[in-house]
Amino acid sequence: MAAAHIQNGAGYGRMLGRPAAGLPGWLGILPYGLVLLAVFAVPVLFLLRLAFGDAGFSLAHFIRIAEVPIYRSVLLTTLSISGMTTVLAVVMSYPLAYLMATVSPRVRSILVVVVLLPFWTSALVRTTAWIILLQGNGVLNRILMGTGLTSEPITFVYNLSGVLIGMTHVLMPFVVLPLYAAFRGLDLATVQAAEGLGAGPWTVFRRIVLPLTAPGAMAGAMIVFMNAIGYYITPALMGGPAQTMIAQMIADNITRELNWGFAAALSTVLLAATLLIFVIFQRIFGLERLMAGGGGTRGGEAFRLTSRGRTSGGILTAACGLLVALFLIAPILIVFPMSLGSSPFLSFPPTDYSLRWYANFFATSKWLDAFLRSLQVAGLSVTASVVLGTLAAIGLSRTGRRWRPLLETVFVLPMIVPVIILAVGLYYLFAPLGLVGTIWGLAIGHTVLATPFVFITVRAALKAFDTNLELAARGLGAGWVTMFRRVMLPAILPGILAGAIFAFITSFDDVVLALFLTNIRTRTLPKLMYEGVAHEIDPTIIAAAGLIILVTIAVLAINLLLSRRR
Amino acid sequence: MRKGILAAALMAALIPAAAKAADEMVFSSWGGSYQEAIRKAWLEPFAKATGAKIEEDTNPEVAKIKAMVDTNSVAWDVVTAGGGGLMRGVALGLFEPISAEMVDQSDVLDGARNAYGVPSEIFSTLVGYSTKAFPASGPQPKTFADFWDVQKFPGKRTLPDKPETVLEAALLADGVAPGDVYATLSTEAGMKRALDKIRSLKPNVAVWWSSGAQPVQALGSGDVVMALGWNGRFQSGMDSNLPIAMSWDQQIPQVGYFMIPKGAPNKATAVKFLNFIVKPENSAKLSEYVSYGPATKGAWQFIDKARAEKLPSTPERLKNALFLDIKWWAANGAKATEAYTAMIKG
Repeated sequence: MAAAHIQNGAGYGRMLGRPAAGLPGWLGILPYGLVLLAVFAVPVLFLLRLAFGDAGFSLAHFIRIAEVPIYRSVLLTTLSISGMTTVLAVVMSYPLAYLMATVSPRVRSILVVVVLLPFWTSALVRTTAWIILLQGNGVLNRILMGTGLTSEPITFVYNLSGVLIGMTHVLMPFVVLPLYAAFRGLDLATVQAAEGLGAGPWTVFRRIVLPLTAPGAMAGAMIVFMNAIGYYITPALMGGPAQTMIAQMIADNITRELNWGFAAALSTVLLAATLLIFVIFQRIFGLERLMAGGGGTRGGEAFRLTSRGRTSGGILTAACGLLVALFLIAPILIVFPMSLGSSPFLSFPPTDYSLRWYANFFATSKWLDAFLRSLQVAGLSVTASVVLGTLAAIGLSRTGRRWRPLLETVFVLPMIVPVIILAVGLYYLFAPLGLVGTIWGLAIGHTVLATPFVFITVRAALKAFDTNLELAARGLGAGWVTMFRRVMLPAILPGILAGAIFAFITSFDDVVLALFLTNIRTRTLPKLMYEGVAHEIDPTIIAAAGLIILVTIAVLAINLLLSRRR
Repeated sequence: MRKGILAAALMAALIPAAAKAADEMVFSSWGGSYQEAIRKAWLEPFAKATGAKIEEDTNPEVAKIKAMVDTNSVAWDVVTAGGGGLMRGVALGLFEPISAEMVDQSDVLDGARNAYGVPSEIFSTLVGYSTKAFPASGPQPKTFADFWDVQKFPGKRTLPDKPETVLEAALLADGVAPGDVYATLSTEAGMKRALDKIRSLKPNVAVWWSSGAQPVQALGSGDVVMALGWNGRFQSGMDSNLPIAMSWDQQIPQVGYFMIPKGAPNKATAVKFLNFIVKPENSAKLSEYVSYGPATKGAWQFIDKARAEKLPSTPERLKNALFLDIKWWAANGAKATEAYTAMIKG
């Protein structure tokens, strides 16, 4: 009877919409909901209402968007570039995630750092390094022509390929990590069983790996797509005019043209288009179903190579994974040599070497101050967003099915709304409260930006979490808190960790909110890096990136040495 | 030891009181070497001369000034911007008018005067080129017409991704007299003429640049052979021994301005400071640290010949210059940007 109860538990729980008592759904949703209302909905709507005229109702801005063809074409460009980036990121992530799941723990930790290292450096450093690598007389073209593969330089940057390279590079980790977690969640026994029944590698991939890792890939793809839509710094620097993104036009209308009404109208159109795609996606492909498809039982042995070893397909995939890892690390590899150049104009390899830019970094306290402040703000916002996002994800899984799609959409909105709109809105909200120019105001803003990441990754992890385990624990007498701590938390921890990393990155890399909400005493590292960038790129930022990379590698090396001793 | 601490505490208690007696001012500009030059040329000498306490901030986005003015939280006393930022702020009433009684601007260049800002420097858009592609032994590009002449000067170009200065350069290259450029641009046919001229060059444009560092980077790496860019950027490329030169034969100067945001907390000190920077001997100072020309006529007597060589606003060079008309851009900028973006995208 008990066994039957447990066996039916999942269906039973789903039927009720909430599996037994414990944390009520609404209580989990409430904190994030309130935060969204107070520091997202209020400031964003404050600005978006300008789309309908400053005084009295007017659709003039929307009519202009409809009538001037350039806005339609920029919107289409934005959507298609975001779509291409998403597909590329997912396709390239599979071999790398597979590689990460099938190597020794030590190699794996190196690969994790390779995936995350690009994030540790500012977007400005990354794009600069890419341009040096890819330009007409860049490193790649010199290699290609030197080996006789091509006779003419290929234009990799200032066109579509430049944008796709730059954006895929930045956004790929958002797929790799959830996908890697999904690979680890695969039950080895399932794979072994399939192999035992005579399935070849391709069949194993198509029938087992693909369906079971789909939730992870979907969560990542969603993050990439939503994020890509709001990108403009990378496309502006690495693309050409044909790749103008709508976020750039919105930012231009806010900061340059001061036409906030038009910026608000563009944002409204973008928001509507993105939501439409999101909802269609949910309806046709059944996001809920796809994400729920991952029934990987966490109890079994984690996925690794089976006794069969690597098949030729596996070797090929692993080789592709290595190439992808090289792609991720490529710009970082040239940052060091570049930072040792003496000329203020970056080149690779540099003509003369000096420690000039490192000396610059330590000459004043401003670089170190800004770096420490970035860490402080990131620490605050990661903590807050992990709590809010995890609670919201758990809460949502205990809410009636009818409300889920709506809440799911509302909860990822901060990813879709252009950051500059939030930045300006928050200024108006925070100025009377004395929060402008403090790290608290900025940390609140970053929390809003970061929580959707935690929400999505934890939600994906929860989908893969077997509710039977929860019911079993509860049935054996564990209270909800004990069950959460001993059963659910360990199972969803990879999701929480991935969310925390994404939250950290979001905060650590933000320029736009920092621009509006901080001053010289509270500026963060990315804001300091962007100062003066309209005129010049101060090579000290490359030295700063070099130092951050060095510290990371040192920590990793110490970690590896210690683990070897053990 | 304890006495030392006590004395320090006493000092700390006294200093704010003393500081309150002195003037204060918050200055906000764009960071980097530009703000450093201003600090050395003007902020530090002004503080020394008047005892004023100056605090610096960065990134005075006009959008942020608007938010400050709207919320009564103006934190800046003096901000800096180009003509575009100045005019957009003026249209929204973000800056204090600066009358002749407040700041005597009689020595300021005629093309640079404005009722809401004090000109701080002149910088120019002109033709820069690679001396590897066009060495001194052969013909070197001089004018905007040369920039468009892909027969005589073959190779890729880079142009700004915004229309300011490019529309003007296109018409000048097409043979329009400098005095007629804005009248021509104001007509539909004239705008089309400028856009068509730029469109004809498109197959030879490798990069539409968005940041001032890009043209120098592209010239230095050899990705382009000619660039429409800023003199100060080309100059620092030349100073770092990149194979670059620029032509002073034709240029479109722009003016940098210092403004006082409406509701600035220390307006009186700000006015004093603006008076300080327009004095010819002080106006001449900035060019010691950055290759921008002074905006006053009297400044040249304080600048030696070697330095004047690098500056755009010498009386000699201004003869071939067409000042960017910021009033025209304030009125037509949005439409022109739309048309320009559509042209380079299409």
